[in-house]
Amino acid sequence: MTTLTDRYLAATLRSVPAARRAEIADELRASIADMVDGRAADGVDAVTAEREVLTELGNPAQLAARYSDRRLQLIGPQYYLAWQRLLILLVSSIPAVVGVLVGAIEATVSDNPGGAIGAGFSAAFNVAVQIAFWVTLVFAVLERVGTPLNLPEWTVDQLPDEPVERDVSRTDTCAAIVFLVLTIAFLPWQQFQRVIGDGDRLPILDPALWASWLPVLIAVLVAGIGLEIAKYRAGRWTWPLVGANAMLNLAFAVPASWLLLTDRLLNPDFVARFAWLRDGGVDLVARISVVVTVGITVWDVVDSAVKARRAAR
Amino acid sequence: MASDEILRTHLQELRRGTVVVASLVALQHPDYGYALLQRLTAHGFPVDANTLYPLLRRLEEQGLLTSEWNTEESRPRKFYRTSEAGEQMLRRLLDDLAAVQASLTALIEGAPR
Repeated sequence: MTTLTDRYLAATLRSVPAARRAEIADELRASIADMVDGRAADGVDAVTAEREVLTELGNPAQLAARYSDRRLQLIGPQYYLAWQRLLILLVSSIPAVVGVLVGAIEATVSDNPGGAIGAGFSAAFNVAVQIAFWVTLVFAVLERVGTPLNLPEWTVDQLPDEPVERDVSRTDTCAAIVFLVLTIAFLPWQQFQRVIGDGDRLPILDPALWASWLPVLIAVLVAGIGLEIAKYRAGRWTWPLVGANAMLNLAFAVPASWLLLTDRLLNPDFVARFAWLRDGGVDLVARISVVVTVGITVWDVVDSAVKARRAAR
Repeated sequence: MASDEILRTHLQELRRGTVVVASLVALQHPDYGYALLQRLTAHGFPVDANTLYPLLRRLEEQGLLTSEWNTEESRPRKFYRTSEAGEQMLRRLLDDLAAVQASLTALIEGAPR
């Protein structure tokens, strides 16, 4: 008959190196019997005593790990920081690049802009998952094998040049990124929305733009997210960031204004649906939008330059 | 209570190395796992069985303990004994323990060094 002790021993010995298995088995069996006897001497019946002893010895996998001097962790303190740094570095850059590339290529070869955005996001997500998996797997293997990483020792020279007084708070960065993401999400949404218009699909922007300007604007918005992240990492506005910000602002404002002023931005069907837009309202909306866009652009560039100058002092 | 939890952790840290010292002392008289566990507990070194048994094997692999199977009684048991290398190591550990105690006493009494 198989006793609880037999099952416990089998479970423990399964993950102990084979060479030492038999001896550990004999010794552990004797120790368990001694412990059971010890409890029986205190008046505990044999069945309860056995259960109590095995419970006290605990999870067999854990006991086996102690016998084989294995540490119960995926990535230990020796490798953790290197793993974390590499993972953040890779996941924060490669998926975004791949996603934008895939999305852009998809947009140029097919007539399905919504599908192209989906393909971009899905590619970025897959790449991120793959990177996380493989990096973690490699480090977990290193941890098991115990390979020395031979990384250079930390020295005081690696300290940041100055204590970073953050001009750019995490909250501001998050808010800016959320706004950009919502703006990007608005573009496919408006294509399929049924909220405005009598329950039919009624794209707000001209669907023809999906083959021309909308992918460009999306790319600019995605680059804007990258800029926010770079700004947060720098902790303040620097002149290269100001330059990049001005470029991105222009890359968005100029096409958007041109489309508005030449009447190519809004969907003609959308305009036709509303009487006040048809009767000259479009021009008014376009003019106001352009003025607001230019105003925001100028203010944003000036603001960034002022902050960069203040931070450089 | 959070402070109980903290106290427990610190006591555990403080006690961790002393189990090795106590085992090396106790095994100057050969003994088997369970009996050693009982002796250590009786002398104020409470230690979990699932910590002590693997520890004895590790000390044996490090050459600090020697072992011998005793098959004379009804149940065959593995008896451990502190080896020559174990004795030397024990002296070093006890010296260090005494040094820690002396340093603490000096620190408490505020005597200048």
